[in-house]
Amino acid sequence: MRDWKLMAKALGLDISEQEIDRLKPALDSLEAAFRPLTAEIPGEVEPALIFRCLLEEKE
Amino acid sequence: MTILEAASALRKKELSSLDLTVESLNRIARQNPKLNAFLTVLDEQARLRANQTDKERSDGIDRGPLHGIPIAVKDVFYMRGIRTTGGSKLFADFVPDFDAAVVERLQAAGAVIVGKTGLHELAFGVTSNNPHFGAVRNPWNLERIPGGSSGGSGSAVGAHLVFMATGNDTGGSVRVPASYCGTVGLKPTFGRISRYGILPLDFSLDHAGILTRTVRDTAVTLNVLAGHDSRDDTCSPEGVEDYSIPPEVSIRDVRIGWPESLNSEEVDVEVAQSITRMVRVAERLGARLVPISLPDRDAINAVHRVILHSEVSALMQPHLGQRDKFSSDLLALLQQGCLLSATDYVNAQRLRRLMMREWSEACAQVDCVITPTTPIAAPRIGKSTVLVGGEERDLRLATTNLVRAANLLGLPAISIPCGFNREGLPLGLQITGKPFEEGRILRIAAALEDATDFHRRLPPILS
Repeated sequence: MRDWKLMAKALGLDISEQEIDRLKPALDSLEAAFRPLTAEIPGEVEPALIFRCLLEEKE
Repeated sequence: MTILEAASALRKKELSSLDLTVESLNRIARQNPKLNAFLTVLDEQARLRANQTDKERSDGIDRGPLHGIPIAVKDVFYMRGIRTTGGSKLFADFVPDFDAAVVERLQAAGAVIVGKTGLHELAFGVTSNNPHFGAVRNPWNLERIPGGSSGGSGSAVGAHLVFMATGNDTGGSVRVPASYCGTVGLKPTFGRISRYGILPLDFSLDHAGILTRTVRDTAVTLNVLAGHDSRDDTCSPEGVEDYSIPPEVSIRDVRIGWPESLNSEEVDVEVAQSITRMVRVAERLGARLVPISLPDRDAINAVHRVILHSEVSALMQPHLGQRDKFSSDLLALLQQGCLLSATDYVNAQRLRRLMMREWSEACAQVDCVITPTTPIAAPRIGKSTVLVGGEERDLRLATTNLVRAANLLGLPAISIPCGFNREGLPLGLQITGKPFEEGRILRIAAALEDATDFHRRLPPILS
């Protein structure tokens, strides 16, 4: 499991250690469900995000 | 009375819009102190508008079924000159200077907006137990939550205060209150209804939606709201059909997908029984039940949560220093998002694409998928955990377990009443369709509604 306290510190987040303790169960369960999925993504799959160059230029 | 019945009475001049609007305002005055469904009531403005629509009608103008009908909008939809709080202290004094696209369309259709409904703080949660504006209550039992985040809309429609209320749905926020309050709730395909002028929660999961008392009322409202809007980059140019449902609708040979993964541990026994009864009704009407194997629900929900937390936290980052403006529960959710990495977010968006392919393959041989909307009936106000299948679970995660997939994959999904538990609380059935097939799921829902009477029962608050 990730060390959320270290991560918060490294990211310079204004989250206290007590608050991290409260978040930990939710973050750990999400991490446990999500992390294994990332190992199975084929390289050619792009994220479901779109940047439309022409549209952006017009704006 | 439904929208269609009221519209018929207005056309025959048996009623005026002012009659309907005054009745709606009177009901709000009587019931809102108990329900707290409305944050803002537009008494004078609604009466003026009702008089205008009556004048239009006497001049021979007919704007369609919503013309002169009293409705409400969730307090995330901008209305020019009217406070729009998002249920948050952050926006407690925010007064937009333009109308949301949904509000524009409703007004152009002649609807009379009588007020703005309450919600979960920032539309990020399922209880609508709002720390800044008070708990919204369920008309079927005042000690129960109405669901969320569109709890005020569910409560207002369920208590017959208005004929229709808008909602927005990022992880079940229209369908959950529909299920808990015994109403119909539609979350259309991503991009079907413009999000222009809706206070955003999440960039890629937010959808505008509709709550009514019957499926046909949802269909005529969708006729008004669906369509392209160039001001919303995510709004689809896909063609719009006429969603109106004829008086007789057949679901003969409709193929209903039944997820094999749905097991008794995930759903309360009474909910499972009511869904099974509805499936039998569908079979009697000629539909065919097809067992299917959907992508893993836990995986879908994990990907949804990574995207949701990341996007909401990015959106709210400028405000995170104002801790006193957030409840501790909401702050905790936003903090979770800050601790997720950019790599995780990008991978979640890649997994989303893979899951859409898997879902599409799994559903290739069916027309829709039926599940419960919520695995339980409305919990008591103040609870943070619930018992599902004899196991104690987090209320938010349990409540949204079956609804998040439609947000992640952008699929249309509708919740309709499908029974009541022993305590008299309503239960909801969810029909999920294929992209832009709102018409099909509305017809299936209408056939089931026609064959049952759950939508005709009145909550105790009306007796």
